[in-house]
Amino acid sequence: MVIHPDLGSQLVNLCSALLLLTCFAIIAQRRLSACVDLFALQSVFLAVTAALVAFLTGAHHIYIAAALTVVIKVIILPRILKAVIERLNVKRELVLNINIPSSLLICGALVILAFYITQPIISLGFLLTQDSLAIALSIVLIGFFIMIARKKAVTQVIGFLVIENGLFLGATAAAYGMPLIVELGVFFDILVAGLIIGVYTHRLQDTFDSVDTSKLTGLKE
Amino acid sequence: MIESVLITVVQMIVALLASPFIVGLIRKVKAHLQCRQGPGWLQPYYDLAKLFRKDVVVSTHTSWIFTATPYILFSSTLTAVLLVPIFLSKVPLNFAGDIITVVYLLALGTFFLMLAGLDAGSAFGGMGSSREAIVASLTEPAMILSIFAVGLTAGSTNLSTIVHKTALLQGIVTDPPPHLMALAALFIVTLAETGRVPVDNPATHLELTMIHEAMILEYSGRYLALIEWASALKLLLFLTLISNVFAPWGIATERTPVWMAFGVAVWLVKVSGLAVLIGLIESMFAKLRLFRVTDFLGLAFILSLLAIIFFYILRG
Repeated sequence: MVIHPDLGSQLVNLCSALLLLTCFAIIAQRRLSACVDLFALQSVFLAVTAALVAFLTGAHHIYIAAALTVVIKVIILPRILKAVIERLNVKRELVLNINIPSSLLICGALVILAFYITQPIISLGFLLTQDSLAIALSIVLIGFFIMIARKKAVTQVIGFLVIENGLFLGATAAAYGMPLIVELGVFFDILVAGLIIGVYTHRLQDTFDSVDTSKLTGLKE
Repeated sequence: MIESVLITVVQMIVALLASPFIVGLIRKVKAHLQCRQGPGWLQPYYDLAKLFRKDVVVSTHTSWIFTATPYILFSSTLTAVLLVPIFLSKVPLNFAGDIITVVYLLALGTFFLMLAGLDAGSAFGGMGSSREAIVASLTEPAMILSIFAVGLTAGSTNLSTIVHKTALLQGIVTDPPPHLMALAALFIVTLAETGRVPVDNPATHLELTMIHEAMILEYSGRYLALIEWASALKLLLFLTLISNVFAPWGIATERTPVWMAFGVAVWLVKVSGLAVLIGLIESMFAKLRLFRVTDFLGLAFILSLLAIIFFYILRG
């Protein structure tokens, strides 16, 4: 079965737009467990996008990457994060460096910036995934922003994972996926990073009675 | 000419009859999710009929605004409904106004309702009006921008043209990202404007939370019936906007009776589907604190703004 290339590219763009929408939902959300759920949802969309690209281009190794995305980012990592949230008993992101309406405005500006930057590159290419590259860059920038704007370690982990999702989308969109061995390495990295950050958050809680990372800048004997 | 008048009258009757059904459907979905039987399908109609028969109590402190508001609200909402394509893509009244007219007809009703809330001089009415003013001022830009984002691809602000062109896929460059963002924004606006759960709770009379109910607390009898019917119409209008602007397929594009009957059926299915979705949302989420509502509506504004900017960037 062959799908018309135009329709295929529309579908890929639609899925990438859903990824971007979940990013905004993560920014507007204050409850940590809901943030984790939204991240899992975003990863589902990512897996669907990857599977679509694999189907449309016939690059079969992307199927494996999509399957790994489901296993690691939709099932394992959210469970680890939920366990961390459960144990630390932190429910809400109460202290924000930047409040939610201005965060939304800044992220809107970041998306425009990403689209503006990638515009010359997109017009050069002939890929079926035009907008996806711009969306991938926006997601990476928004992920950076989440890591900067939020104080709780758990939200910063989510920001980090959002960046990774953006990078993966960018790789799939711009290069039809990386070599499988690289992707395997990245997934392993992400998993280990998730575990390490979980442990680090526990240590933070034990030392400071809080997971507020801004406390790390204070000197202590 | 006569045909156009006839179609307009039919559209009015369909909207007037369907709006209480949608309200009842949402209540039914909520009742089912709470494992209750819930009132019967005809209950909203019985309520309206009962209220129309009851006497009106008007406070002696009120001015003419209080008695005029129900009529202004009802007629402006009904006029707005007639400008929106329901089962025929080119409504006969489309020369009379575009999407901006629809938005401001609704705003006119909201404005008078806010005045009426203040008019009786009760504390609740004033509270409701000030809250409604916050919500209305934040939803209005998001609503206009989100429909503009679709209007840009159709090259017109006229709702009939937008719906007609999208239904026939004529000259439409379909862009999923802007459309999706505009859709999300319009959905948030719908929840806020029609007083649904994350913003307002239609089923409560608790003074800390109510917005719409607080404004109409002083009303009774046929005035209350008109206001209730107008808010049901407004809900129907927003659901129709979502379904027909973003997915108009199935709507009649020619004026033949069979097509139009089919159009009514498809429209009812689409609108009922959205009503079930709203019922689900009302059961799944808690109401937001009043000061969090601005975050929620800010999200709608940003999304609709992005939808418009995407259009310009992607189309050069």
